[in-house]
Amino acid sequence: MLKKLITKTLATASAFSIMVASAHAACTNDVWNKVMERGKVVVGVKADYKPWGFRDASGAIVGMEIDIAQAMADAMGVELETVAVQSSNRMQFLEQGKTDMFIATMSDREDRRKIVGITSPPYYTSGTNIMAPKALGFKSWEDLRGKDVCGKQGAFYNQVVTNRYGVNVVAFTGNAEAKQALRDKKCVAWVYDDSSIGSDLASGEFDQFEMPLASEDDNPWGLAVPIAERDCVFGNFMSGLIFNMHQTGQLIELEKKWGIQPTKYLVDQKDKYADWLAK
Amino acid sequence: MLEAFTEFFRQMAEEYPRWNFIFFYDERQWNRIVSGMKYTLILSVACVIFSVIIGVVGAWLQGSSNAWVRRSVQGYIQFFRNTPPFVQLLFFYFALGQFTPTILGDDGWTEYPIISNVGWAIISLSFFAGAFNVEIFRSGIEAVPESTREAASSLGFSRLQTYTEVVLPLAFRVSLPALNNNLVNLVKTTTQAIGIAVPELLYESVGIWNDFPSAQYPTMLLLFVAFILLVGILVYGMHRWERAMKIPGYGN
Amino acid sequence: MFQNKIPGITTKPDTDLPVLKPFKARAAGEADDLLFSRWLASIPIYAWFIGMAIILLWPSLAFAANGYGYTEAFQALIKWIPFIVTSGFLFNILISFFAMLIGTIAGIILGLMQISPNSVIRVPAQIITQTFRNSPWLVLLFIVLLALPFEVEVGGVTFRIPDWMKAVFGLCLPIMANIAEIVRGAVQSVPSGQWEASESLAFSRQQTLWQIILPQCFKRMIPPWMNWYAILTMATPLCSLLGVEEIITLSRQAIEAENNRPELLVPFYGFALFIFFAYCYPIARATIALERRYSVKL
Repeated sequence: MLKKLITKTLATASAFSIMVASAHAACTNDVWNKVMERGKVVVGVKADYKPWGFRDASGAIVGMEIDIAQAMADAMGVELETVAVQSSNRMQFLEQGKTDMFIATMSDREDRRKIVGITSPPYYTSGTNIMAPKALGFKSWEDLRGKDVCGKQGAFYNQVVTNRYGVNVVAFTGNAEAKQALRDKKCVAWVYDDSSIGSDLASGEFDQFEMPLASEDDNPWGLAVPIAERDCVFGNFMSGLIFNMHQTGQLIELEKKWGIQPTKYLVDQKDKYADWLAK
Repeated sequence: MLEAFTEFFRQMAEEYPRWNFIFFYDERQWNRIVSGMKYTLILSVACVIFSVIIGVVGAWLQGSSNAWVRRSVQGYIQFFRNTPPFVQLLFFYFALGQFTPTILGDDGWTEYPIISNVGWAIISLSFFAGAFNVEIFRSGIEAVPESTREAASSLGFSRLQTYTEVVLPLAFRVSLPALNNNLVNLVKTTTQAIGIAVPELLYESVGIWNDFPSAQYPTMLLLFVAFILLVGILVYGMHRWERAMKIPGYGN
Repeated sequence: MFQNKIPGITTKPDTDLPVLKPFKARAAGEADDLLFSRWLASIPIYAWFIGMAIILLWPSLAFAANGYGYTEAFQALIKWIPFIVTSGFLFNILISFFAMLIGTIAGIILGLMQISPNSVIRVPAQIITQTFRNSPWLVLLFIVLLALPFEVEVGGVTFRIPDWMKAVFGLCLPIMANIAEIVRGAVQSVPSGQWEASESLAFSRQQTLWQIILPQCFKRMIPPWMNWYAILTMATPLCSLLGVEEIITLSRQAIEAENNRPELLVPFYGFALFIFFAYCYPIARATIALERRYSVKL
């Protein structure tokens, strides 16, 4: 009885506050203005996901996503500062204001859209796939049922793959450890983004391995601005920038520059957004 | 009753998006927590038992007349006591794990190591705590006067019989406070097994708040409370045991 | 309870137990806190070079079959050392320094609160100390790093809290609890005669504590304090699990940039181990020297 009363009071209070809040959803462009005044944009990027974001010997972070961020900074007319983030903290850093936006190999998901402002169109896509030894000859996802598969902590598809195929995901904190466990035959496969696996296989270090299955859950990647600015200047600017980078083929060039396996997605997007006059 | 409980938390999750106590109303997440708790308990209990056994055996070997045996026990103690347990876990699993015998799986490629990562965690942590236990039991054994040992020997006890029937019971009672301290430390250290993907409570909690960012604060709260309770119960139980086993008039 | 009926002996026994020698805890946390430092200081310096040589030879022994081999793994390590040390290990040292600083100040206050005769002060202090002594360090780190805000506004001025500073707060909590225990133990180990003598000289409790007891304790507290500093430094790699930029995180990123070759695992982690020992070794020697100088004979 008391519980019902408390719940009712809380419900009314929160409903009221939501009404009040949504009445003031006008754009204030705080972060955008701050970046413009400061003359510097702080972007969260990965530093352990070659070749989208990784370190060079001097310690600077380089990669395809950093190049996208540089193009953004150039268009804004500000300096670029990169901050290394991880899957586990990229959204929190943006929320807390430590970064102004991030481009960090994040998959665009419904529950993530509630926390950060993911813009459209996406700049890349990848599906879930596995890197498995050729000797095992896996043909379908069902072959993995009940087996131990190495993964990385924080990847959203760990749960999906577990629920869908009954796979036992053994999640490590870092890519290096997980791949080492695979080499040591402690698990039968390594579940990760097909783009990263493709890159690993192309590097020549993983000759006894292959990526045999059909990629599942092709999930576009989303870059994010603070959620309050998604429909304001910053969000709209990023949408436009990515659209242009698709149209001009700049993303395809970057893909080639960093030695990433060419994807059909970028070619399709370039065609889809083609300038009608250029035809 | 249970319905009202789960409903309450479901409602709370909707009203307060940051306080999603998902494990209270979602069956799957609750199972994860329970599984994590189970593994933490398995690790704790197994490591406590094995480390005590290692301590007892090691303390006996330290009194051996063979200098090489003594030196190797000493070397073992020094290595395990003075390197970080986290690095020990990584080293055991990745470096030593390469050289363990494996059973070839049905598919002809997978080698199922005889020792899984949970097994390596138990081994590594038991040796870690065992190194401290050897010293603790050693100090306890040294508290037993020579005269007692000589008396036992004059009554025809062999060295092993003296150790098990006379010296060890006394040494054990005396070293109990220090042993309790070490065992509590051991239970706290089991969280570091997350580094080799052992699905204990911290691992499952991290998994939950990575999958459901809205459940982060409640899960952290649960984690903190669970460990305080676990360690608290252990400390309380050990304290009671200590008091029951206390030698009247000894120490202060 | 124990009958001492030995035929021919008529005098009463002093105790009814066989006399046991005092328990000299050599590894327990309470009695002798210096094991870590003592062991570290006793290692002859050439042992470190032998150890490093073995670690560097491992790639060649274990991976002689592969083309990569020892030279390239070693070269990769050399290439990355400046970055790992200046941007990584530096932060380990910073984290340990600040965690020790804040933990010590808070620990002293907490320790003094624990010996207060006023139970309103004493009981919460005891609860806090026991809570933080009994929590796993990793869980505390996770909670503090994920829940602490990144910016704090104090009177209109916003302070940015970098990641490593949050790690400092996370690590200073258990340190604070352990320092409090050291302080409490040290104060309680001063013979009660000192308290009684100062009471008879009309010192107030405050004056006794600050002018008579603590100066005696201070020197005695230094060696276990330095021991905890060494333990804390060895625990800073735990922050790597949370993405704080320190030596292990950067080693992982370097390994990833070198295409994740398994031969790199041992040299990089071996180097991390080596540099930690190189840092802790002089501290351990200094601790032992200090202990000898300051052993108070009461």
